[in-house]
Amino acid sequence: MTAWLQKLASGIPEPARHVLTCATFWALVAGVIGVWLLLPTRLRYGKALGSLLVAIAGVLFAFDLPLLGDWASQVVLWLLAAVTLGAAIATIASQSPIYSAIWFALSLLGTAGLFLFQGAQFLAGATVVVYAGAIVVTFLFVIMLAQPEGHARYDRLTWGGLPKILGVVSAGLLVGILTFMLGRAKQEATRPTEMAAAPAGAVAARHAEGGVLNERHVANLGRRLFGEHLLSVEVAGTLLLVALVGAVAIAIQGKPRLAQRIEEALR
Amino acid sequence: MSELALLYNFLAIGGLLFALGLIGFLVRRNMIVMFLCAEMMLQGISLSLVGFGRYHNDWGGQMLVIFIITVAACEAGIALALILMLARRAGNLDTAAWQDLREDGQPAFLDRQVPEERLEDRVWPHLTPAGSEPPRDPERELHRPRV
Repeated sequence: MTAWLQKLASGIPEPARHVLTCATFWALVAGVIGVWLLLPTRLRYGKALGSLLVAIAGVLFAFDLPLLGDWASQVVLWLLAAVTLGAAIATIASQSPIYSAIWFALSLLGTAGLFLFQGAQFLAGATVVVYAGAIVVTFLFVIMLAQPEGHARYDRLTWGGLPKILGVVSAGLLVGILTFMLGRAKQEATRPTEMAAAPAGAVAARHAEGGVLNERHVANLGRRLFGEHLLSVEVAGTLLLVALVGAVAIAIQGKPRLAQRIEEALR
Repeated sequence: MSELALLYNFLAIGGLLFALGLIGFLVRRNMIVMFLCAEMMLQGISLSLVGFGRYHNDWGGQMLVIFIITVAACEAGIALALILMLARRAGNLDTAAWQDLREDGQPAFLDRQVPEERLEDRVWPHLTPAGSEPPRDPERELHRPRV
């Protein structure tokens, strides 16, 4: 089987053969078709087939990623990535916006877990706190604005056949180009010498005082934030204030003016 | 643990998250879902930034993510105010309701076939009631004032 495949592959010119024998390429093809089937569609068994294809794509994509060299962290990473990406797919595939919001919240929890996996403790907490608040507000908006009787027409439709295909394919091409550009980094990461001889000095530097994995992580982060980046913090605060004023101005504009209302009442 | 492999894994996951958000933003028509997809793209970028920060042992990545979260909060405030305004004027959350803003000479977008809604798709989340039930006014249930 493999020999036959190799014989078949040897007839193809070099760059195309390199792409065609790559698991990531086939994962992206399966993923693109799967996501296309999962999006609001008229096919009878579109959802089941799409889920199957996306699952196959996920396994193929994970198969082609370099291993971390540590089984416990590898399993945790795969679980977190599966939760994050699966919930993200469900967000864009759900017909009802309420389910979209719930799936997005789950995807955010997965992202927070991935932050924690990399040792970014403060960011994990901030993501949960800030985005959970934002999501609850969005959720209330959805409940207030969505029609209670059945799904809205525009949630069961997209912009039509061609824009849907173009959107999915362009996203697949984007990931394909990004992974293609990272090919050399992957080759270096999968080389056994790199795995065996982990640069001890680099790891120690990360755990040393001032490194990103130091146990006084949040204290270090705060010192940097309010030391080197103090001006940026001030600018960000100003931006928040301006956004607040802008949001209030936009929301008030929706109501008729007082004079107008009095005029209408008198008429 | 191989740090380069970790960086590559996080770049791949971040890229996939960004691509999924891109698909959702381009394909969906509900304004709230489009907004959620924009946030999803920001999450993908944040993952890559944290990955780079860890690989290079540099705090810049995490700093940038903190400011991304700040800007995303501003964006959420303004976007929700805008969506509220647009939904009030058009009566729904459909982006196509605002296609009058298109350029001169562009053909109008029309829905060709609206699919039939299957019964098994009409599922809504079941919310468990909490607390004591408030007294009901039968008059008010018949003439519910517009929310």
